[in-house]
Amino acid sequence: MPRAAAAGLHFPACPAPPRCCRPRREGAVRAKMAEGVLSPGVNLEAFSQAIAAIQALRSSVTRVFDCLKDGMRNKETLEGREKGFVAAFQESLHSVSRDLGELERLSNLVGKPSENHPLHNSGLLSLDPVQDKTPLYSQLLQAYKWSNKLQYHAGLASGLLNQQSLKRSANQMGVSAKRRPKAQPTTLVLPPQYVDDVINRIDRMFPEMSIQLSRPNGTSAMLLVTLGKVLKVIVVMRSLFIDRTIVKGYNENVYTDDGKLDIWSKSNYQVFQKVTDHATTALLHYQLPQMPDVVVRSFMTWLRSYIKLFQAPCQRCGKFLQDGLPPTWRDFRTLEAFHDTCRQ
Amino acid sequence: MGVTCVTQVPVLEGKSVQQTVELLSKKLELLGAEKHGAFGVDCETYHTAAAISSQGQTGKLMYVMHNSEYPLSCFALFENGPCLIADANFDTLMVKLKGFFQNAKANKIESRGTRYQYCDFLVKVGTVTMGPSARGISVEVEYCPCVIANDCWNLLMEFMQSFMGSHTPGIPSVFGTKHDSIYSPADTMVQYMELFNKIRKQQQVPVAGIR
Repeated sequence: MPRAAAAGLHFPACPAPPRCCRPRREGAVRAKMAEGVLSPGVNLEAFSQAIAAIQALRSSVTRVFDCLKDGMRNKETLEGREKGFVAAFQESLHSVSRDLGELERLSNLVGKPSENHPLHNSGLLSLDPVQDKTPLYSQLLQAYKWSNKLQYHAGLASGLLNQQSLKRSANQMGVSAKRRPKAQPTTLVLPPQYVDDVINRIDRMFPEMSIQLSRPNGTSAMLLVTLGKVLKVIVVMRSLFIDRTIVKGYNENVYTDDGKLDIWSKSNYQVFQKVTDHATTALLHYQLPQMPDVVVRSFMTWLRSYIKLFQAPCQRCGKFLQDGLPPTWRDFRTLEAFHDTCRQ
Repeated sequence: MGVTCVTQVPVLEGKSVQQTVELLSKKLELLGAEKHGAFGVDCETYHTAAAISSQGQTGKLMYVMHNSEYPLSCFALFENGPCLIADANFDTLMVKLKGFFQNAKANKIESRGTRYQYCDFLVKVGTVTMGPSARGISVEVEYCPCVIANDCWNLLMEFMQSFMGSHTPGIPSVFGTKHDSIYSPADTMVQYMELFNKIRKQQQVPVAGIR
């Protein structure tokens, strides 16, 4: 309906058109008119005739509805009334069909709008003479460029993300909102027996590493990993996802006063505080939501490289100490030792 | 308790013991180490009394030591022999054993000084005194996070080089016998005992020369 109102604004000469019967071709005619301005070779004469035809069509349609609205005129006999009404209605319908035929004939003369403008009809906005007041066209171009760029970058990002598969938890797997609650339980709720098996296998895999599994609070497992005589790691799991790790010295107490694993307090030694930070980074690095057991195994393999925490010099500067700390960083792929500031 | 290395730093030429200690402290502070209280290690020598030595064991010495780092303990050591870690009232027991072990009071030697902390390192620079006179300087460097001596020796050495320069010692003999076992406070006391014996001997040589 608002389009009909807008059409009325564009053609102020015509009588107020009935709202329900907007001429269908009006938009096309407008476009053609503008096209005419764009390329002066177009038949301008046909345009003005077509506009006149539209006006005629509108007024004849108006007459039809006026006739319907007024109903039967006051005549002596009922029969006379009906006859008069039908005759008037018929005549006005005829004029509508005549005007419509005329408009169709003219529209063929006008020709089709050219499609060569890259922005199609929105390119016509550039014809607006008052740029300062309605800078729609420049805004449109900017929006177009912006959306192009956005699409390009989004494409790149999606490619990268698919490669790395950096998905921390099940509900970020790009499934629709409907499927999300379904996806979560499958990866997060694994039978405790399965978790035990995975941990046992890892325990057997590394002889210098001993893993103690306990479940002090419900089904979530907590691991106490002792690596040689170098360090102890407390690993808090949620199913097979590692939620938190704390690295402490071999001679530090990992239990609270009531004999439970102390998962909150940090190590007293700066070197192990640093290693804790790096281990947390590693948790975020090793992610493969489809195969959580591979993640745990990769993390443990990485952790095992700390067996030489105090023995390995930095692979970059060749020294043991930097700011009083040994090389605390281990490369995720090569497992080489670096100082925190020596890694790239 | 981490891995510890105890060593002696020679007194610089033309300087007193006190001045050399101050120089060392200054170097440590420049490195970023912070003062963290004081420390003391003392050592008393006991001769085995005639009753035992008459059975053919020639005059073995026993050392009874205290370390302020372990205030509730008392360490009793034989040279090259076992080390006993006892409660602090072991001293009163020794008084009762007067018949077997005689205290050589003149041989009491001790090291006192300042404790420094730098990252996970603990450094104790002490003046070794025997009776009223200062005889030398001891430096104890402990790397607290590590418990296996041989694991962190290179690291310890690199740290000691940063403030001791050419006076950095070689690997202590106790490290050689440790292999992969856990370093204990007794190993530190053995190192102190060896250091004190060395200083005593250094003292005796010039005395003998004068005579």
